[in-house]
Amino acid sequence: MTNPKPKSIIPNRLISWLDVLAITAWGILLLRYWLTGKLNLLIHPNYFGLVIVTGIILIFVGCLKAQELWRRRQRDIVPNTQHISLFAPGWGSCLLLTAAILGFIITPQVFASDKALQRGVTTDLLGTSRIKPQAFRATVRPEERSLVDWVRTLNVYPEPDSYTGQKVKVQGFVIHPPDLGKKYLFLARFVLSCCAADAYPVGLPVKLEKNQDRYSPDTWLEVEGQMITEEVGGKRQLTIAANSLKKIPQPQNPYSY
Amino acid sequence: MNQLNNGFTIFLSLLVEAMPFLLLGVLFSSVLLLFVDERKLVERMPRNPLLGALVGSMIGFVFPVCECGNVPVARRLLMQGVPTPVAIGFLLAAPTINPIVIWATWSAFRDQPEIVVLRVVFSLSIATILGFVFSSQKDLSPIVQPAIARYLKFNPPAKPASKKRGNRYQIEQQATAPSLLQSGTYILGGKAGFSTRIETNLIEANTPNSSTRKPLADKLRLLVDNSIQELRELGAVMIIGSAIAAAIQVLAPRDLILSLGAGPISSIVTMLILAVVVSICSTVDSFFALSFASTFSTGSLLAFLVFGPMIDIKSVGLMLSIFKPRTIFYLFVIAAQLTFLFTLFINLHVL
Repeated sequence: MTNPKPKSIIPNRLISWLDVLAITAWGILLLRYWLTGKLNLLIHPNYFGLVIVTGIILIFVGCLKAQELWRRRQRDIVPNTQHISLFAPGWGSCLLLTAAILGFIITPQVFASDKALQRGVTTDLLGTSRIKPQAFRATVRPEERSLVDWVRTLNVYPEPDSYTGQKVKVQGFVIHPPDLGKKYLFLARFVLSCCAADAYPVGLPVKLEKNQDRYSPDTWLEVEGQMITEEVGGKRQLTIAANSLKKIPQPQNPYSY
Repeated sequence: MNQLNNGFTIFLSLLVEAMPFLLLGVLFSSVLLLFVDERKLVERMPRNPLLGALVGSMIGFVFPVCECGNVPVARRLLMQGVPTPVAIGFLLAAPTINPIVIWATWSAFRDQPEIVVLRVVFSLSIATILGFVFSSQKDLSPIVQPAIARYLKFNPPAKPASKKRGNRYQIEQQATAPSLLQSGTYILGGKAGFSTRIETNLIEANTPNSSTRKPLADKLRLLVDNSIQELRELGAVMIIGSAIAAAIQVLAPRDLILSLGAGPISSIVTMLILAVVVSICSTVDSFFALSFASTFSTGSLLAFLVFGPMIDIKSVGLMLSIFKPRTIFYLFVIAAQLTFLFTLFINLHVL
């Protein structure tokens, strides 16, 4: 134990440096997402603080270890050979490092209509069962409700007729579900309750005056109009009758919470 | 290409969300490793089987270790003469009944608080029941590995009657012994030539004693070392788990997921299998489960969250250092059945 074979020292030291590299890389990656504003594509803003502090601690821990390794470079390093276990030495840090490097190279992207369709957005408002009325405010004027507010309101009181004639002004991106007729498009937003892994699309169908092909999928629109009840996809459903559709740039933070 | 990027975004989001909780768990257990004197705790364990199982299940609240850390701790608990129900209760419940895991679960399922509460209640119940069941086994040698059985034979735990003498003996013997809390570490000592002396020597080389004599700088260094080791091990498991979750989300046909996830029985069975296969750490498994939240029944999500931390491929490997395969099989089967029944009840009667 006290006299480890010289040739075993080099790989062990390498593994220690690999640990330092992997942990520091993750710290930098987390802070980078925060500083470049990409963090809101990945997680709910409630957890930004946690992620930032984690990034700082990881860098700190990495630096502490690096300093120690550097100071001890003249002496033998006796690694914890009894420490286990699941992976061969070096594998764990290699995986961590690889994931961090991929994180640096590939930019996370905003989910779009393909993801929404894959998640199963249809006219039956899939996902509404998860929308609790936590942000529901009875006093909100109809035209001030966001798309998510509308879906939440509808979830609390699902009779479409009771909203008929109310004014609407909402923003979202365009989806063309296959079962929706040519006269309609589906306006959706992704809702994030924790992280991108649980992002789910919600939205409402929009009845167009003209053919929907004018708006390709993923176009962001601001739709103004009023609520009507329509038979969409074989189901009576609250629908926006659009008076005006305005193309808008993708919002800084495309998700709702 | 787009799908690949979607998958990668999900993968990254899972990692970014889970990393703080993983770090917190790792730091917490490393701090405990250095600053908690667990032997006092061992002495106070109740001898009553049911009470012991319940108390054992709840120790996790004081020792927040996940399922990689609890196995070595449970092993030492057994070897220090803690009653079997306490050790088994701890082994099964500690990864779930601990503040960090509860917080992580709450973060993931803020809009379904019932999942957080039921996860704790079910885990506690199942661990207590299993601990109680195993209390009927008075002689441990048929269920534990020969090495541990031999150790217990030659180092019988102090009987309550001779407690004082026993304690002194234990304390003397343990003056150089390692701390109980070695979360994330697993000492390879189960071979035929196993002896306590050797093991003590082995561990002494790298494990901090719980003594307070060490200077702070040394403690800090050990804390950093231990944290790095755990981060490396658990982080790697987390990456594999997140990759599986992301791949399932992107690649699995939606119709299949919907049909599996909606059935009260099929959803539970699917999630039980997934829990065993994925082997993701309990501090971060709620985020994994979250990615199935919109398609799978509440009961099945609970099945994943309750059963996964108790038994999965990774922990079976570690548990082989304590128990014989047959014992693990019993633990596995009973835990799976209880989880199935509890969560089926939720699926059919509540939500």
